[in-house]
Amino acid sequence: MNQADPDHVDADWDAGDMGCGELILELRTRVRAMRPGQVLRLIARDPGAIEDLPAWCRMTGHRLNRAEHPTYFIQRKED
Amino acid sequence: MAGKFCVSLTHAKDNTDKATVAFVIANAAVGSEQETMVFLSSEGVRLGVKAYADDIHEQGFAPLKELMANFAAAGGTIYVCSPCFKRRNLDQNNLVAGAKIVGGAKLVEFLTTGSPCVSY
Repeated sequence: MNQADPDHVDADWDAGDMGCGELILELRTRVRAMRPGQVLRLIARDPGAIEDLPAWCRMTGHRLNRAEHPTYFIQRKED
Repeated sequence: MAGKFCVSLTHAKDNTDKATVAFVIANAAVGSEQETMVFLSSEGVRLGVKAYADDIHEQGFAPLKELMANFAAAGGTIYVCSPCFKRRNLDQNNLVAGAKIVGGAKLVEFLTTGSPCVSY
């Protein structure tokens, strides 16, 4: 694992058009399954994701390293 | 959990759109690490009975049965209004996962400890 590399990714998930609560609940499950510090590259095409994913990261404490819709890099917080 | 969140739902098959969206939002809340409770009252209590929601599937959303099961599996709680349930002669021994029959005091307690509430 080389987390100093800004392009480092530990897991990929293409959520397609999934949005709102379905996207958030599945995202929670996937991020919980990762180790602290690991990065998920998420593809989320739902237009609501642009506002929802930064809000979710603010609420949960996970870090949104980079976002360029529909691609989001989310780093799991420390336990 | 970061905070509390309540979703109040008064519809079932009389408005499957609202019933579905309520659980979508509830899933967004529980998925955002909020201690989330769905309060079913009036017609909404019918959703507390196993298998009632099996044939509710609004276009553009997951089937309601799946939304409710995911909500419960993620730790969400469903409170079912006791008098609303009783007056419809529903079976209290056949509740969906995560559901509890409660009186108004449980709702009041949940809300007065600082929970916002959205209603459908």
